[in-house]
Amino acid sequence: MKIENTKAQMRKGVLEFCILSVLKDDDAYVAEILDTLKDAKLLVVEGTIYPLLTRLKNAGLLNYRWEESTSGPPRKYYGLTETGKLFLNELNTTWSELQNAVNIVTNQKANKNE
Amino acid sequence: MNKTVNINLAGIFFHIDEDAYLKLQRYLEAIKRSFTDSQGRAEIIADIEARIAELFSERLQNERQVIGNKEVDEVISIMGQPEDYLVDDEIFEDEPQSAPANKSRASKKLYRDTDNSYIGGVSAGLAHYFGIDVIWIRLTWILLVLGAGTGILLYILLWILVPEAKTTAEKLMMTGEPVNISNIEKKIKDGFDSVSETVSGVAKNVSDSVSGAAKKVDVKKQGNKIKSSSRTFFDTVADVIMFFFKIIAKFIGLILILIGASTLIALIVGWFSLGAIDVIPGTDLVGIVNAGGTPVWLASLLAFLAVGIPFFFLFYLGLRILITNLKSIGKIAKLSLLGLWLFSIIGLTIITIKEVSEHAYNEHYIEKMTLETKANDTLMVSFADNDIFKNPFYRSNDFKVATSEEGKKAIFSKDLRIQVKSTTDSLAFLRIEKSADGRNYEKALDRAKNIEYSYTFNNQELVLDPYFTTPVSNKYCEQEVLITLYLPVGSVVYFAKNTESFLNYRTHSNNIVSSNQVSHYLTVDSDAVICDTCETEEDEENDDIEINIDMPQVKINDKGIEIKTGDNQILKIDENGINGNSENVRVKIDSTGINITSDKETEENKD
Repeated sequence: MKIENTKAQMRKGVLEFCILSVLKDDDAYVAEILDTLKDAKLLVVEGTIYPLLTRLKNAGLLNYRWEESTSGPPRKYYGLTETGKLFLNELNTTWSELQNAVNIVTNQKANKNE
Repeated sequence: MNKTVNINLAGIFFHIDEDAYLKLQRYLEAIKRSFTDSQGRAEIIADIEARIAELFSERLQNERQVIGNKEVDEVISIMGQPEDYLVDDEIFEDEPQSAPANKSRASKKLYRDTDNSYIGGVSAGLAHYFGIDVIWIRLTWILLVLGAGTGILLYILLWILVPEAKTTAEKLMMTGEPVNISNIEKKIKDGFDSVSETVSGVAKNVSDSVSGAAKKVDVKKQGNKIKSSSRTFFDTVADVIMFFFKIIAKFIGLILILIGASTLIALIVGWFSLGAIDVIPGTDLVGIVNAGGTPVWLASLLAFLAVGIPFFFLFYLGLRILITNLKSIGKIAKLSLLGLWLFSIIGLTIITIKEVSEHAYNEHYIEKMTLETKANDTLMVSFADNDIFKNPFYRSNDFKVATSEEGKKAIFSKDLRIQVKSTTDSLAFLRIEKSADGRNYEKALDRAKNIEYSYTFNNQELVLDPYFTTPVSNKYCEQEVLITLYLPVGSVVYFAKNTESFLNYRTHSNNIVSSNQVSHYLTVDSDAVICDTCETEEDEENDDIEINIDMPQVKINDKGIEIKTGDNQILKIDENGINGNSENVRVKIDSTGINITSDKETEENKD
């Protein structure tokens, strides 16, 4: 049991949820998604995101359109599909439940310690 | 000073240092290997390339700037190592570290290791594959070659079939090391070292051409690694040999294809024609034999699969040999075919067991009929004429399905035998024993009872049917009929010629008439028949010695010795003792003693 593995598992588990959340309001291209995720310290390296994006797209949760860029190659702008939105809503509920549960459990411990 | 390369990354043009270019290439190659096609590899790679292009663009102040090692390293550290790209579907496994370990073991592949080769690198490749020292493989080869020479053929086959490890990734896969950037880098570094060694070696060799011979040998192995080096004599010879073996291999492949394809076609045609038989009424022989009650289509389908699948693989193998870049039919297809094959084998086994168990019991059903034949009567036995069979009077265990006179479809069989026994009763009788196989006693008896056999007896003439019938629903299950004719002593029997094939010629179980006694009037004795008109040929079938001397007549056979000197003068030595009969005196020596009787006076002498 390595701490790195557990951390990685935790992060990977919520990564898909976070990607969908980033795209909730506005379409974004990879670099923008990456910036958000990296700012939040959710991602260390960028590589992880590509297979995830392809997987979400293949699952019909995301779609994309091409847009020309002034500095560099054309960009893929990703957006949520209808299924993606439903999926995200589901995940949101699950997440708040989970958050609540984790809070209760961890706070209980803290209260006892006091 | 560095050489630069021009690259096109996601449609953008970049100048890049050569070593940086190599690094980037290896990096992308390693990433490519961490995905499968099903994950959408091409798309992921395109996205990654686009992102790298973007990152490079950010780092370039003007168009003339060149990308160096520093930029590539930065990008790689941003993007992450190939391992970071893995989307583990089982990320919640307790020990995620074990997954890559398994992966690398599974990805170990068989290649020819031409770097450490003596001939074709087969041994070295096998050694990598099995993880043992190459010396054991080589020793095995030597043993195989010395043993039966099969080793040579096997080696050649492997040489042809096993691909050479050319790329670094292949070399890594050969040794079972995981294909990641660090390993590739390490391997390349090793490669560069050996290349530089070789280059210096070649240089020395050129400058020092007088003492070149010895060094050439050393250089040779390294020389293989750089394509620019001249080909050695051995390589050329190997190429020529390889060319011929490739032709032979193609030929073998062609033969395999022909065998596989022709068998498959034959099977398919056979299968369809079997289906056709089932449709045409009256010819459903398969259904008749199949006593187990398994549907014909199922049994034939299973048989088709059990035979067809191995031949399909043979065909496929041939195709693979003939067309080297043939696409694999895929693991799933292979495994499901294998599963189907196993299933059909098991199915066939079950059907066979069922079929065999249908013959587990053999039961007899016996009918007895009295015939108005007394002593001194003459009974004529013959077979009724019929046109059911081509050779109606030739006994066989053959059967056919035909329509009987009543218009019902029935199984006709000629599997009947006739035997004759003498009886002490005053009247003759007929015993008809019907037997059949079945899964159990009742079933077998039922089948035996359902055998229909008819005959007519009229005016001392017994006309038998040369066949018996049974309903089609009864199936063919070793049905047999044994007719035993019990005749009173003193009666005369005449078997017509057409009964010959059905008579038991072996004289077992007290049968007294053999097949070579047909067309003769036979007088029934207590345990034999006396043939008045027969020539001496009646015992021809036995390995008897018979000596016939004009007068007196002498017979020596397994029954004993018989000397006839006249109508009433006989000397007989047999299992009953010694009998001497003359016109007036009879002498008998047997277990009861010596008995001499005379017509005129009787004298007894006992020991």
